[in-house]
Amino acid sequence: MSEMWINMGPQHPMTHGLWNLRVHVDGEMVLDVDPEMGYLHRGIEKISEDRHYNEVVTLMDRCCYVAGLAWEHLYILSAEQALGIRPPERAEWIRMMSEEFQRLGSHLMWYAAFVQDIGLMAPFLYGMRDRDLVLDLFQSYTGARMTYEYMRVGGVRNDLPNGFTDQARKVCDWLIDRFEEYDRLCLASAIFHKRCDGLGKMSRADCVAYGVTGPMLRSAGSKRDLRKDRPYSAYDRVEFDAATADGADVTARYLVRMEEMRQSVRIIRQALDWLDKNPGPVMAARVPRWLGAPYAPIGNEGYLLKRNYPKGLGLSAIEEPHGEAQAYIVNDGGEHPYRVKFRSPVFANISAAKKYLVGYRIADIPPIMGSVDVCVGECDR
Amino acid sequence: MEAEFPALVSARLGDRVAAVEVFPGTLGRVRFRADAALDVFRSMRDDLAFDHLSMIGGIDWVDHREVFYVLWSDARRAYVILSTDLPAENPHIESATCIWPAANWHERETWEMVDIHFDHHPDLRHLLMPDGYVFHPLLRSFKLHEPEELEVKTRNV
Repeated sequence: MSEMWINMGPQHPMTHGLWNLRVHVDGEMVLDVDPEMGYLHRGIEKISEDRHYNEVVTLMDRCCYVAGLAWEHLYILSAEQALGIRPPERAEWIRMMSEEFQRLGSHLMWYAAFVQDIGLMAPFLYGMRDRDLVLDLFQSYTGARMTYEYMRVGGVRNDLPNGFTDQARKVCDWLIDRFEEYDRLCLASAIFHKRCDGLGKMSRADCVAYGVTGPMLRSAGSKRDLRKDRPYSAYDRVEFDAATADGADVTARYLVRMEEMRQSVRIIRQALDWLDKNPGPVMAARVPRWLGAPYAPIGNEGYLLKRNYPKGLGLSAIEEPHGEAQAYIVNDGGEHPYRVKFRSPVFANISAAKKYLVGYRIADIPPIMGSVDVCVGECDR
Repeated sequence: MEAEFPALVSARLGDRVAAVEVFPGTLGRVRFRADAALDVFRSMRDDLAFDHLSMIGGIDWVDHREVFYVLWSDARRAYVILSTDLPAENPHIESATCIWPAANWHERETWEMVDIHFDHHPDLRHLLMPDGYVFHPLLRSFKLHEPEELEVKTRNV
C-alpha cells in the first residue's frame, strides 16, 4: 500500500490560488498527477454575453487578479477589431506601457511567492515591497490598485496625470537596481540551486505539442514572443529582446522572468519618452454611446439607438505575463457580444502538468508549480 | 504569404475545405467539412506547419453549433482559424488530441460548456464544472438569473 492518491489543494500553500492537484505517489515519487480546476469558475464568458462591450472590461480585472490591465488590453484589442473602431495613437502607447508595468507587477508577485515556496523568506518581502511601487503608479492614473477598469473600446478612460512620467522613471530606476539584488539573493544561494536546478524539465517540442507558452516555452530555448512575432499596439516601434534560456527547468524559468522584467523596464522607458513628446487625445473621437462608456465622449448615437451596425469577428493575442492569451469575440450586430472566448495561458500550462511533474518527488512540486506561475482566476475564468 | 495562403490550403486539402475567408490579423478563416476533420488537422500540422494549437471554442448559433480552432505556426509566424458547423442535434466531431495533445483540456471545456461531443477523446469529463453537472452553460438556452433551478437538476454521483 505504498501507492496512493493524495490531494495537494484546494487549500495548500503550493497552489497559490484555489485549485487541487491530485497526485498519485509511490512513497516520495510522483507517478501521475491530475489537476482539478473550476474552484474559481465564475462564468465570465457567459456573463459577458449579457453585458455591453465596455462593461466587460470590469470582468477582465477579475479574470487575472495580478495582471488586470493585460487582460483589459487583450479584450479591448479583440473588441475593437470586432466593432471596427480604431483607438488614437497615444492610447496605444499608454496601453503598451500599462501592460509592461503590469508584467512587472505580475512577475514581482511571482518572484515573491516563488522564492517563498523554496524556503527563502526575505526575498518575499522585497518582492512585495517593490510591487507596491508599481501599484502606486497604477493608482495614480487609473484610481485603483487591483481592479482598474481603465481601458475602453476606442481608447483609455483618461490621460496620465501631470508628473506621472517622472515618477514612473524613478520607479524604473529603482527597480532595475533591485533586480541585481534579487539575483544576488537567489542565484548565490545554495538552497535555491538545490531546490530548482534540473527540476520540472519540459522540452521545447513538448511545450509546443502541449500548448505551453510564455516564460515556460522561452526557458526551453524558444524565442517565441508575440510582442516580437505578431506585434500589436506599439510594440513594433520599441526596441527590446525576447528573453530566453536553455535549461528548460525551474532555474531557467527564473532567469527568463528576471530578464523579462529588465526588458519591460527598457520598453517602459521608451514609452515614457514617447508619451512626453506626443500629447494628444486618448479616446477615439466618434465612439457610439451604446458601448456603455460612462466617461467616453458621446457620439451622435443615443443609447439603444443602435442601427445597422456592422457585424464582425475579433481575434486578439497578446503576450500576457504568464504566456500567450487570446480573445475571440463574435459581434452579431447586437448590443452585447454574442460570444466571447478567452484562451488563458495558465489553462494550457497546467494542462501539461503530467509532462513536467511525473518522475519527480513530492517536495519538488512546490518549486515546479511555482515556476509555472499559476493564476487560477484566468485559468478558470 | 497571406495572399497565397488560400490557394495553398485548397491545393493541399481540396474539397475538404469549403472556403477560406478573410480574417484580418490571421492568414484566414478556413471553413472545413466536419466529417474530414482528422485529415484537415493532420494536413494542417504536417503539411502547412501549424504545429501549435492555441485554443478551441464552440459557439451556439441556436439552429446549429460552430466549433473553431486557433492554430499558430512558428515557421509562418501567423495564426489561422479553422471553423466548421455542426448540427444542433447531437453535434459531434473527431477529437484533435492525437494531432495536438494540447487539445485535451480545450475539448473538455468545449464539451461541458457548449455540448459538442469529441469522438475518441481519451478523457472527456468535466473540467470547470462539478461532476454530474447536467447543464451546458454557454448554450443560448441556458439563461442567467435562474439559480433555483440549478439545485433541482444537479444529480448526485
